[in-house]
Amino acid sequence: MTETTGQVVEARGVSKWFGETTALDAVDFTVSPGVVHGLLGPNGAGKTTLLSALFGLVLPDEGTVRLFGRTRAEAGPGWLDGVAGFVETPRFYPYLSGRRNLAVLAGLDGGDAASLIDEALERAGLADARGKRVKGYSLGMRQRLGLAAAMLRRPRLLILDEPTNGIDPAGIRDLRTALRRLARDGVTVILSSHNMTQVEEICDAVTVLHQGKVAFAGRLDAMRADAPDPVWRLRTSDDAAAREQAKRTTGVKAEGRDDGGLVVFAAQDRLDDYVLTLARDGVAVRGLELDVTPLESLFFQLTGEPGDRPAGPPGRERPPVTEEPPVTEEVP
Amino acid sequence: MSLGNPRRRTAAGAAAAAAAITVGTLTASGCGSTGLTAPRLQTSLSRTFANLYVLQQTEQGNPEPSATSLDSHASCQKGGTPDITQDGSGVWLCQITYLVAGPGYPVIAKYNVDVQTDGCYAADGDGPASVNGSPTITGPHYKQLINPLSLIDGCFDTT
Amino acid sequence: MTLAADRWPAYPEPAPGPSGPGGPGGPATRTGPRSGTRTVWRLELAKLRGQGRVRAIAAACLVGPFVIVAGLNVQSATPGDTAFGQWVHTSGFAIPMVILGFGGQWLLPVGTAVVAGDIFSAEDHFGTWKTILTRSRSRRELFAGKFLAALTFATAAMMLLIITDLLAGLLAGTQPVAGLGGQLVPAGHATELVLVSWLSVIPPVLGFTALAIFASVASRNSVIGIGVPVVLTLAFQVATLIALPAWGQQVLLSTPFTAWHGFWEQPAYVGPFLYGLLTSAVWFTLCSAAAWLVFRRRTIGGAS
Repeated sequence: MTETTGQVVEARGVSKWFGETTALDAVDFTVSPGVVHGLLGPNGAGKTTLLSALFGLVLPDEGTVRLFGRTRAEAGPGWLDGVAGFVETPRFYPYLSGRRNLAVLAGLDGGDAASLIDEALERAGLADARGKRVKGYSLGMRQRLGLAAAMLRRPRLLILDEPTNGIDPAGIRDLRTALRRLARDGVTVILSSHNMTQVEEICDAVTVLHQGKVAFAGRLDAMRADAPDPVWRLRTSDDAAAREQAKRTTGVKAEGRDDGGLVVFAAQDRLDDYVLTLARDGVAVRGLELDVTPLESLFFQLTGEPGDRPAGPPGRERPPVTEEPPVTEEVP
Repeated sequence: MSLGNPRRRTAAGAAAAAAAITVGTLTASGCGSTGLTAPRLQTSLSRTFANLYVLQQTEQGNPEPSATSLDSHASCQKGGTPDITQDGSGVWLCQITYLVAGPGYPVIAKYNVDVQTDGCYAADGDGPASVNGSPTITGPHYKQLINPLSLIDGCFDTT
Repeated sequence: MTLAADRWPAYPEPAPGPSGPGGPGGPATRTGPRSGTRTVWRLELAKLRGQGRVRAIAAACLVGPFVIVAGLNVQSATPGDTAFGQWVHTSGFAIPMVILGFGGQWLLPVGTAVVAGDIFSAEDHFGTWKTILTRSRSRRELFAGKFLAALTFATAAMMLLIITDLLAGLLAGTQPVAGLGGQLVPAGHATELVLVSWLSVIPPVLGFTALAIFASVASRNSVIGIGVPVVLTLAFQVATLIALPAWGQQVLLSTPFTAWHGFWEQPAYVGPFLYGLLTSAVWFTLCSAAAWLVFRRRTIGGAS
């Protein structure tokens, strides 16, 4: 008798270790229907392992995983009905064209999946490249083909592992819009990333993994309420005076940067007061930028990035989003 | 809840048991011996020789003798030693005694027999020349044919 | 090349069909496990048909025997060291038997290994296990479908080879041939014996198929999947030169390839053939089971 709590994904106490390494440690992961749920964590936190466990690519050593209320054993071959997506970079048969690859996958699915191929290719923006062999596809094109392959299954649950990898900013915007529309129509989306900014803009709920354990799980607005102050970069005409002023202003902390200018920790409204006070004191503001969003700093707090600042280390290097990040060889 | 290891152990144990049973069965089949014994070689060789002798005579256009009337018997020794309990693959020396012109006149054909481990052998004729010495024989209309007795291929059951 | 985001998602209505177990309402057809395997089997066969190596082997089976017959015709020497060798110019029936005796023990295992040793590890090579395992087919269905496709290829290639061998022999001449007991075998009976001899080597070929599959599943590597049967074939040949006890001989998977000798003796004996069936069955079962055990709970992908 399956216990249905109405959740789309319910993973309880999932543990997986590979030899000496613990990849997942008693992870609880719950995803509600119709939500865009972000799975966050630095590289090596266990995101891919957890998503692989959802797909049955990795079989947990402990714990249960339920999709739509059924475990893999209960559901049998139909466990992944209505579930689609990909883990790490989507891979296809390089000697076949994009269209033929989808035809093979549609053949595996059975039903009328084959009739959706052309439409899926168009929606993924691959209509022109459909006849080309996948061997010649760029990383971005392969990501799109992975999305098209997922859409063939009319998924109610879409699981995407770092889907913005290798996609240009315009493509990322498109993806974001597409996913929001899917969620609006009741499709549940799980999206993994190591980049909090992207997740912030699209997700409703978030689970943060750190070294195989859940560091935070909940709705994004709850997370924002808990978050520390954002971090700003400030350049003024008189840094010393600005620093003095910060000491006198509540809710504002300022420190000098090595390369000149200041790092300021303050909420938006406190910052506004601070800037106005500076102007009254005759200190001109030459530059003010948001360096780290509140959620980014919370994220780094949760995942214990190096640095002892409570609101995130200043001058932290933002991981670049490049067109073609290095594709690592999968170790069998 | 790890399901893999206990099941895997059970299955591996079952597989090992199956392998052991099979080896045991096959061992019982051979009881450790090779099955390449002199009596089996002799029986097979004498029978094959008799049939091929009939074939040879027919091809030459001579009257066809009956295989049973030849009453052929082979006696084989491995490596040429008089120890009659020799077994196994390798080179054997065989002598086939058979009757052509009646019981009083036995003919002896000699063969060098190379026996393989699967029970098949190739017997190379070693005299007399008129019987198995020449690789060819002459048929009707002076046609050259293969002498069936020159090189005899045969097999016997080793199980 | 954008994502046409303004037109997502709006799935078209699924075609009417048996619905799933009241679950998420995914693909409208939830076929039973047996037809799921059949789906995979047919897809794999289609993939095989497009492979260059498969076509090459089919072509070799189709024309090989005729080429051999033609080659034998243009020269008068006879193949030595093999049963029926001396009769190839006398009777056409000797030719398929020489091919079987001479090439059967290594050509056939290599031929099946070239396909079976790759059909699983190709997915590892392309990294596509995670792509096909995240569809509506279970691991069991995928394993069984691929396994059956490899067996189908081996059997179909054997059947083709048997037919062309027999035809080539019949074309070369239907004179009676001398059996291994010295008896003269007329054309009708000789045809039966040629057929039965060739059919008798299908079980060990299937045993080698399972072995190649196990090697490729365990190593995730096509070179090893194909190489292990080849190396073992050579090792078996070497082992037959040693004077092993009877059970030692019987355990080798090369031994059933020569069990047909008993059919051509007079009186015919089938002991080696029956034991050969057991040997082939044990190899087949052990290798298949081992391959499945390795595959069923394996971790797919580089997740760590």
